[in-house]
Amino acid sequence: MTGGTLDGQVTDALDGAHQSIEYMYDQGWSDGLPVVPATRELVDEFLATTSRPADEVVGRLDHLKREVSVELAAINAVMAGCRPEYFPVVLAAWDALMAERSTVGGGWQSTSGPAPLIVVNGPVRRRLGFNATGGVFGPGFRANATVARSIGLIVRNALGVVPHVLEQATQGIPGRWAMCIAENEEESPWEPLSVDGGVAAGVDAVSTTLLRTSEFVDNRHTDDPEALLGDFADTISRIGSWIFRHASAGVVFCPEHAQMLAAAGMSKADVRDWLIERCGRSEADLARAGKNHVHGNVRRQSDDGDPGAFHRYFADGAPKNLPIVVAGARNAGISMVVRVFSNWSGISARVEPPRDGASAPAT
Amino acid sequence: MFDRILDPTGLSVRPTNVAVAARRVPSLAGARVGLLNNTKRNAAQLLTELGDLLRDRYGAVVTIQRTKPHVAFPVDEPMLKEIAAVSDVVITGVGDCGSCSASAAADGIAFERAGIPAAVIVSDAFEVTARAMAGVHGDESFELLLTPHPVAVLNAEQVAERATELVADVANRVCELAR
Repeated sequence: MTGGTLDGQVTDALDGAHQSIEYMYDQGWSDGLPVVPATRELVDEFLATTSRPADEVVGRLDHLKREVSVELAAINAVMAGCRPEYFPVVLAAWDALMAERSTVGGGWQSTSGPAPLIVVNGPVRRRLGFNATGGVFGPGFRANATVARSIGLIVRNALGVVPHVLEQATQGIPGRWAMCIAENEEESPWEPLSVDGGVAAGVDAVSTTLLRTSEFVDNRHTDDPEALLGDFADTISRIGSWIFRHASAGVVFCPEHAQMLAAAGMSKADVRDWLIERCGRSEADLARAGKNHVHGNVRRQSDDGDPGAFHRYFADGAPKNLPIVVAGARNAGISMVVRVFSNWSGISARVEPPRDGASAPAT
Repeated sequence: MFDRILDPTGLSVRPTNVAVAARRVPSLAGARVGLLNNTKRNAAQLLTELGDLLRDRYGAVVTIQRTKPHVAFPVDEPMLKEIAAVSDVVITGVGDCGSCSASAAADGIAFERAGIPAAVIVSDAFEVTARAMAGVHGDESFELLLTPHPVAVLNAEQVAERATELVADVANRVCELAR
């Protein structure tokens, strides 16, 4: 250490910063990247952005004997690198997650290693600088990156679901704790996702769902909307992550794809209806992957059955089984199929509006 | 300097439990065995085979077999009481996923607290998470019975072999005389 100490106190500010970071690593509080030290003063600034009391419990896992208070959420949001004004978005994201059945079950501990996709709607996107366009899945944008990271740190620290211990992901999915996108409402031909989640358009809201994995569809040379949707149906219908009777998948359409479909007169509901009818596999295909028989709700191998039978991928055409979002740049026909862990709750959480004086430092 | 950094875990306010082990049964002859299946593939067969072996080799009697309503969560109070009312010892498992292995350890500890010696069977790939959960539930040295991973892909014959390998450990775990 290069800095001097005086009565055990670090005298150089940068040495102090480095030592604080190392201290927090030593405590086991980091996700692997440096975290920001949460001081009382900084946490109070975060708490000042919400009307909710610091001791309000916003999540609990009774079987792990752990709970998350507004205060613990704020401490972890500070550590993730959020600015104070992001905190209402973190709380809304957390509220939306708590409406998911997997997150209050054993989802965080699952060998599947799921992670939330967080979708931000409303004027808050521009107010706080959330990226909705190019490179929307990140990285490069503080609001997107730190809100997603906050959720990961809350799960790790406040719920105690730590990798190799109570967290048992076999591999975990790419993009874990890093997927917070803003919807590109300006270039979307359709109503925002938050409207499907019960919040009026133009109101700040966050929607979340746990994902199994993602895969993009690159299709920029067809002008036939049905051929385009056929490409999506092919990707959605993959067997790999399809383990129960039905599965759920969302599509994060790029503006170009969404606009082509809308120009052909298709609403989001029309797109869903088209895909619901066509996504799935023959029993013969499923048999080749050892998943042709549904036992209970789980796919297994069986020598019996009808090889010609068609197994639909989706249970039905509800938005919670096939959420649709528009995000990304308008520069190419590249969209993302996101595989939903169980299904979306169908509930978007409102973001608390800015409070007067909320950005003023605490005294 | 570091005492100004706030703790993000909330652990300092967590209440802790004290480990409580049930009295082992003096003998398995005539002992009532409860089986708690956590729904993982091959769990039902493995528990059934173990029950049969405890009957044939030790003279125990299987009195109840129940299936957990939710694989990820510890057994609920009504089911615990239902099983405890007609059992002298309990076998539960198979801990064979992230959340269910942890829950299996919690189930074993809950039965021990209710005065019923419990044998908890966990795939060895999930030993660490089950032990961590045992710590969460106040008994970090809770003894688990490990079986080699994987369990879900075993055929019926192989599951029966596993039961044969495990039965003496199960007896040792719950019975004074067998130790």
